[in-house]
Amino acid sequence: MNLTLKNIVRFVLFFVLQVLVLNQIEIGTGAQIMIYPLFIFLLPVELNVIFLMAIGFALGICIDAMSNTYGLHASSLLTMAYLRPAIFRIFAPRDGYDALLETNLYTMGSKWFVKTFGILLLVHHFWFFMLEMFKLNEVLYVFQKTGLSALISFLISVFLQFLFLRKPKRNEA
Amino acid sequence: MLLLFVLLQGLALSMYFTFLTFPRSQYMTTASYISGHAFEFTNNITQYLHLKKNNTALQKENVRLRSKLPQNLLQLDREYITINDTLHRIQYEYLPARVINSTHSKRNNYFTIDIGSSQRVERGMGVISSKGVIGVIQNVSENFAVVRTCLTEKVRIAAMIESTGEHGFIDWKGENSKYGTLSGISNDSKIKKWDAIVTRGSAGMFPQGIPIGKIVSSIIIEGKPLWDITLLFAENFRTVQRVYVVKNQLSREQAQLEAHHQSTNTQ
Repeated sequence: MNLTLKNIVRFVLFFVLQVLVLNQIEIGTGAQIMIYPLFIFLLPVELNVIFLMAIGFALGICIDAMSNTYGLHASSLLTMAYLRPAIFRIFAPRDGYDALLETNLYTMGSKWFVKTFGILLLVHHFWFFMLEMFKLNEVLYVFQKTGLSALISFLISVFLQFLFLRKPKRNEA
Repeated sequence: MLLLFVLLQGLALSMYFTFLTFPRSQYMTTASYISGHAFEFTNNITQYLHLKKNNTALQKENVRLRSKLPQNLLQLDREYITINDTLHRIQYEYLPARVINSTHSKRNNYFTIDIGSSQRVERGMGVISSKGVIGVIQNVSENFAVVRTCLTEKVRIAAMIESTGEHGFIDWKGENSKYGTLSGISNDSKIKKWDAIVTRGSAGMFPQGIPIGKIVSSIIIEGKPLWDITLLFAENFRTVQRVYVVKNQLSREQAQLEAHHQSTNTQ
């Protein structure tokens, strides 16, 4: 499938899944499942950070409009999109990224995925809950929410990749 | 690059904080046309999940109301005369509505309901359920409205302790959707556990005496002559589906009088 078309379809699917399904699930103790950061994470590596931020902002605003948060999701997703190239640079493999491969769990290996996606997801969730509470004396509660939500979101993001992404065939030459 | 980041971030944050403090526009909320209809569609599918519980609650209310019908009362005086009552006039009307979208675990939680300005809903009206107070209307579009529930910071609903009449405001600390707080009660007064907290009816949003919750615990705030009272909400916000919007026919009169009184006082 065409790369652009594939990502547009993904955009819509992530949006619908987040707004109509995951936003309705309540786990308790303030945890909230947010899997849309995975969409930004899976965008092509060589994509300019300006496009990354624009797409992140757009997706965030769409989710905000459907959950009465007026810019909260947009702001946190924007932060994550802005930091993605830097994190990718720090954890780059020795011979650089393969521009043709998508940076998912299968192509890059689980160790790399846990490190990069873990950090970006934590940043996103922390930013989100910090803005939502916006009080220094509730900072422990923010940490609790961030930790629990990030853990659950991470597991679901991994699970989604197991479900929908195919393992690339090893070319034994 | 950094410039664009700062620019977009500033846009998002200014949107977030202006909407939070002056929630005027409805375009970016769930009261808007598209999201309102989307949530109505999903609610049509998921509403069956809590159907049993809601039916029981409505049935209980029916029983209570039915017991007040004149045909159920024993007639003591056989020779009664009908009087055209000129002493009572209807002040509060109730508009039935369905909750089509709701959150409970965020810092500020809102409900979207399926009636709007075409059903005469206005900003600032109270919303109750068959068990107790839900919140206040915050945004209205033509066919939908967003309710700021008791589960928000600063919902500021005037409440009083039913037995003593001491009054304060309802607040929510953001941790558990079952418990809220009542602030502004002086610690000279004695607080009894399980005393009912009801609406005060001072702002004309709710009639007086609509249940809000029951007192669970009270601690003295250090350095202030006030109680910090924790209350158990009467309504379970997680499962409520049917609500009523309270329309006060005299609210405009009260607002006008109070505004007039304030303007003459300041002169």
